[in-house]
Amino acid sequence: MEQAMQENALAVQDGQEVVVHMQDIGFSYTENRLFNHLDLEIRRGNIYGLLGKNGAGKTTLLKILSGQLFIEEGETKVLGENPQKRSPSLLSEIFYLPEEFPLPKMKASEYLAMRSPFYPRFDHGMFAQYCREFDIDLNQRLDQMSLGQKKKVLLSFGLASNTALLILDEPTNGLDIPSKKQFRQTVASAMTEQRTFIISTHQVRDMENLIDPIIILHDGKVIFNDTVESVNEKYVLTLTTEQPKADEVMYTEKVLGGWMVLSERTDDSEGKPLDLETLFNVIIEQSKGSAGGVR
Amino acid sequence: MNRFSALVKREVKTSQKDLFTYGLVIVLLLFVSETLRSVYARYAGVSFPAESYNEMFPSFLLLGGFIMSSLIFSEDMFGKDTQHDWLMLPATNLEKFLSKALLMIVAYPIVLIVLFFLTSVVTEPIQLIIFGNPMAMFNPFRNGNFGFLLAQYWVWTSVFLLGGTYFRKAHFIKTVLAIGIISLALGALGLLFARIVFAIRFGSSLQVFDAMFYLSPVNLNRALSPLKVFSVISKIFYYVVLPIFCLVTAYFRVEEVQATDAV
Repeated sequence: MEQAMQENALAVQDGQEVVVHMQDIGFSYTENRLFNHLDLEIRRGNIYGLLGKNGAGKTTLLKILSGQLFIEEGETKVLGENPQKRSPSLLSEIFYLPEEFPLPKMKASEYLAMRSPFYPRFDHGMFAQYCREFDIDLNQRLDQMSLGQKKKVLLSFGLASNTALLILDEPTNGLDIPSKKQFRQTVASAMTEQRTFIISTHQVRDMENLIDPIIILHDGKVIFNDTVESVNEKYVLTLTTEQPKADEVMYTEKVLGGWMVLSERTDDSEGKPLDLETLFNVIIEQSKGSAGGVR
Repeated sequence: MNRFSALVKREVKTSQKDLFTYGLVIVLLLFVSETLRSVYARYAGVSFPAESYNEMFPSFLLLGGFIMSSLIFSEDMFGKDTQHDWLMLPATNLEKFLSKALLMIVAYPIVLIVLFFLTSVVTEPIQLIIFGNPMAMFNPFRNGNFGFLLAQYWVWTSVFLLGGTYFRKAHFIKTVLAIGIISLALGALGLLFARIVFAIRFGSSLQVFDAMFYLSPVNLNRALSPLKVFSVISKIFYYVVLPIFCLVTAYFRVEEVQATDAV
């Protein structure tokens, strides 16, 4: 008990509780190392966006966090516990929505009755409300639903489970355009100071204005873990018709009608805020530390 | 306890269609078998044969039980798409393991007995009315070796549960092959052991088969009486140590399973 209190005491930094603490993580599927000395800290009360190129290890990272994969080196603590132990107390505080999944051949209502007893704070009223918002028929069989509909059912279930940590792997894949908007609204409304979302995605435009802070995974390490706002405080994005000199700007990209330029913000800087796609490209290019318009 | 019962319900609920189909096959097979026997007895003019329930029960208990035990962990532990659902279920690994193991070790024989009995309750009056076949309900205790049968089921189900958790694919076939190989190895060891014991008891010049041939049963019993302790030890090993070892090992396999095991 005392040890647990000490751990909890250690887990609070800058007024925000650390829900995920990964230190010096090493992991590999084959001889090639996927994660090498990876460090990551995730704090309660945020919707984190996990970005990375294909094969960067986003899903692997999420599976390590949820106790589905075991690390070879380092230390992982999720909500103060080692996820490898897969203790019921920890698992009842984590909801994991995978990118692809089959659901059993039964009605959504039957699935609800089967799974909800595992989550002590499950709210049936909220589940019904989310299903209404997503236009889900609880009497429809899960195996007859499209991927998007299944995702909506699971997302409604996850939100209603009231878990402290929700891990969503590519949640907008398979959702139609209105559903993507609905997804953003529902997640934003379900957000509380006690919850933390980790959303892995390639569809950064779907997540614009929802995910913040951003975690960028590259070459087996977390190369960026900060808010978009902090970047916008330092840098400004402008559109110019003339190609800027490479040594005068942080990042350039050829766009229709000119050049998109990222430069350090000055007092009289005017420009638009950095979008997630550009931020990702900037960080990745900077991590290479060479060509591609980055100083 | 609520969590454990929820796990058991989940097990039954997710495979209810397959279980229903399996049950229906059993009922139909028993009905058809009984009917064919009655038809043959009625029109061939021979006496009505004994009911077939006791003959078919061991096959469904053992073969059906072993196949189901081999497969019960398959999707949840090694299904690439289905694995995460089981791994992320808020329950201990022991609860997850026991919910499946107890279903196979305890619930399956009970359900099978009930199913056989209910089938006989429905089938026998029909046979009596149509063919005049005397009613003979299924009674597993009528056969003297029911306890022995259950004991064998307990031992070998634990072996197949271990096979189900150990092998990622083709669990049943691989378990049967593994049992074959281990049996051959143990047989060779047993033969070596017997050879050594007989050599000590009768002198190194006497061969095992010679001893069997020359000694009368009385003498053989007398000669082997010191070895009865080995018989008791082997029974304890077979009925207690082996199944518990298999179940404990299977549990540890459940504990260490990862998403990579489903590749």
